[in-house]
Amino acid sequence: MFRKVILILFLFYILALIQGSFLVHFTIFGVLPNLVLIFVLLINIFTPLNDWFGVVSALIGGFFLDIFSAGFFGFFGFYTLVFLTLSLFFNFILKKYVEIPFIKSPRS
Amino acid sequence: MKPPIRLNLVLGLLFIVVLFLVLNFTVLGDKVKNFFYLISSPLQQGFWKAGDATSDFLTGVFQAENLKKEADELYLKSRSLIARIAELKELENENLALREALQLGLQKEMELNLSRIISKDISGEIVLINKGGKDGMAEGYPVITPQKLLLGKITKVYDDFSEVMLITNRDSSFDARVLGKDIYGAVKGGGNSALYLDLVPKDKELSSGDIVVTAALGGDFPAGIVVGSVREVRKTDIEPFQAAEIIPSFDLKAADIIFVIVDF
Repeated sequence: MFRKVILILFLFYILALIQGSFLVHFTIFGVLPNLVLIFVLLINIFTPLNDWFGVVSALIGGFFLDIFSAGFFGFFGFYTLVFLTLSLFFNFILKKYVEIPFIKSPRS
Repeated sequence: MKPPIRLNLVLGLLFIVVLFLVLNFTVLGDKVKNFFYLISSPLQQGFWKAGDATSDFLTGVFQAENLKKEADELYLKSRSLIARIAELKELENENLALREALQLGLQKEMELNLSRIISKDISGEIVLINKGGKDGMAEGYPVITPQKLLLGKITKVYDDFSEVMLITNRDSSFDARVLGKDIYGAVKGGGNSALYLDLVPKDKELSSGDIVVTAALGGDFPAGIVVGSVREVRKTDIEPFQAAEIIPSFDLKAADIIFVIVDF
């Protein structure tokens, strides 16, 4: 788990930098894809039930996005709270009661 | 005995809430951000340059036909501008002669501070520049491009970096006038690179192509800095004023170097 957290720290740090300094030059119809959000969602969808790795990755991803953005009305922690809520929803509600094909179900 | 998982969750959430309260309501939040910007700025500058170069290359590849057309149009425009420059040079000389005759001093030049954009915020039209409080930056300072086109103003200052709110940001609003016409209005950002000229009296003749410049009324920006050109005028019977959509003059992708006006 510790090694995975270090890896995810580095990954989200680089993703947040790419998001703010590289990707801004490539908007699709004026919309900028949020790389960190995409990765947080993917990790949360594909981690098994009761694995805290999804929640930890949401916290780290949200924290780096908060660092490298002005935040919502200047509120530091907006992205962390949003990502954490999404992660808790995925891990404690969606995956518990909904069986999604190709994803480890509660009974697996 | 191991604490139950729910207790761990509650304690964890409580810790996060307390942490963010401390980061939001003390200077610690700004210090943390400044630290991360400081260690990341070389990488950010590298990514910004790489993104700029790749974007230029891709534009060249995918829009070669449009570029040819645009180049032809610009060539014609530059021809007509040469005559205009000559005309303005004459006026400048005349202006200098009149100032000397009337014993007026020359207009005070703006004091500029060169800076670089290192990143753009994903949540809004805000960019981060590599000059901060240590370099004499302060909230409210106007920011322009090297071509003297208005970009925005500083809204947040860290020790070594500052956040600049672009004029296209939804929270941006300032007074402006139409060049060569007695038309005043308020320029408001619409988000997503959109910009509008609002509160223009209905009896005024606004037309597509009009140049919008800053007015000195609000005191936010020095007068006469180019904001953009009118794309489309919107006038309805219901609204008490007319409005217009503006094409912003600045191109953020090309604005690597910018200037902060520290005195005007």
